[in-house]
Amino acid sequence: MDENGIREDGRKADEMRPVEIECGVVPVADGSAYIKWGKNEAIAAVYGPMECHPRKVQRQDRAILDVRYNMAPFSTTDRIRPGFNRRSREISKVTRDALESVVDLELYPRSKVRVEIEIICAEAGTRCCGITAASVALADAGIPMSDMVVSVAAGKCNGIVLMDLNKPEDNYGEADLPMGILPMTDELVFLQMDGDLSMDEFKIAWDYNIKAAHDVHKIMIEALQKRYGGDV
Amino acid sequence: MAIPIIPSLLRDNLEALAADDQRLDGRSRFAGRELEIEVGCLANAEGSCRVRMGDTIVFAGVKFQIMTPYPDRPTQGGLMTSAEIRPVCGPNWEPGPPSEASIEMGRVVDRGIRESGCIDTSELCILPGEKAWQVILDLFAISDDGNMFDAFALAAIAALRTATVPAERFDVGEDYKLPVAGTPIMCSYQKVGGRFVFDATKREELGGDERIHITLGNEGHVHSLQKGLRGVFTADEFNEIMDAAQSRCAELRDIVHNLEESQ
Repeated sequence: MDENGIREDGRKADEMRPVEIECGVVPVADGSAYIKWGKNEAIAAVYGPMECHPRKVQRQDRAILDVRYNMAPFSTTDRIRPGFNRRSREISKVTRDALESVVDLELYPRSKVRVEIEIICAEAGTRCCGITAASVALADAGIPMSDMVVSVAAGKCNGIVLMDLNKPEDNYGEADLPMGILPMTDELVFLQMDGDLSMDEFKIAWDYNIKAAHDVHKIMIEALQKRYGGDV
Repeated sequence: MAIPIIPSLLRDNLEALAADDQRLDGRSRFAGRELEIEVGCLANAEGSCRVRMGDTIVFAGVKFQIMTPYPDRPTQGGLMTSAEIRPVCGPNWEPGPPSEASIEMGRVVDRGIRESGCIDTSELCILPGEKAWQVILDLFAISDDGNMFDAFALAAIAALRTATVPAERFDVGEDYKLPVAGTPIMCSYQKVGGRFVFDATKREELGGDERIHITLGNEGHVHSLQKGLRGVFTADEFNEIMDAAQSRCAELRDIVHNLEESQ
């Protein structure tokens, strides 16, 4: 950060990378979304509700979300070996936990809704990217939800709390606080954090996230309006 | 993990209790269960700890291996954590490859320790570019009556803080105590009957909603957070448990430190 409070990529401390969202990019899916978030690019597709297989994971009282987060082998500088690893399984799980908190699953007992998240280009912050894209894809699929989850992350680099770390800031940074926010009520459905934050820094990061979530929410709404018209 | 069948009676019961600010076992909201910690309990591990919280019983074992440092970090060793939850520890745990529940536990415990910076990996170097220590932290549960996260995290840090680097056995000098610079402590809260409680039992977990894990370092700094399971919470609810965690973590840290002194 320079003496005027401007970061290496030209942003202010509380400024997000540019976010673009487009709905309906996977024609065969029931709902889908593409998100470009800085250099991050992700595609989310939703299929269902459909019969739940395997039977073992079926729930008698509600549907389940079957969420998969995956990074394409070419999405990072060093090629990623294809297939699930511990990181992607954990991210799939926390994404499912976040989205299941808003989807009205009780409407569809014994069924499942598949949510596929593919990261095709990664720059830091892919889990937030994936959750946000998946929310738009669920809305695009017409799955009833109490609100859309907007996921954003503030972090800390060189002792300064910064919104939405890019790759170098993330690599050399000291903390990362991703949150999943419901913009209608400012409630949370997703929360992770790693690194080192004092309670004061933590509060600043938290407030940055709430503000940014509302900005990203507008972009999500615009994407849905563009596809369907009218007020969403 | 098999999907547990949750009797609606249990949920109703927990809600009714919550309305009177009661819990199934009579504890207050932020009270923990009876805690037993024993360090150095496994002769073949270089650091070990057994934690019992009510009927939840877990072990942490520390082993060392010599690794070749990564080319981009030639003077650093490594820390590896894994949680293994065998079917022995409860009716809902099944055999097979690691479940996502156990992966989450291992990773959340690992993050709290790693991100607190208490293990300085550059102190694990033996010969730059050639040899360094890899610290392997294995978490092993034998009885799951809820809140294994806190039990694992407590066992993990106590085992690390009392571990000995087995340099003589590997012929690279004299044995020495593993340097551990801080004592990160995790406190977990589960939404039960509409409000967060500390140190939930298995029945409270079964009939409850989302959970939040908070790891705090010596200065009260936050090192790791994780929200798990389905549920929605407000900033006020979070601030309340964060305050509770600040004081509980300090108490638990003192318990770990006293344990080391008496060793």
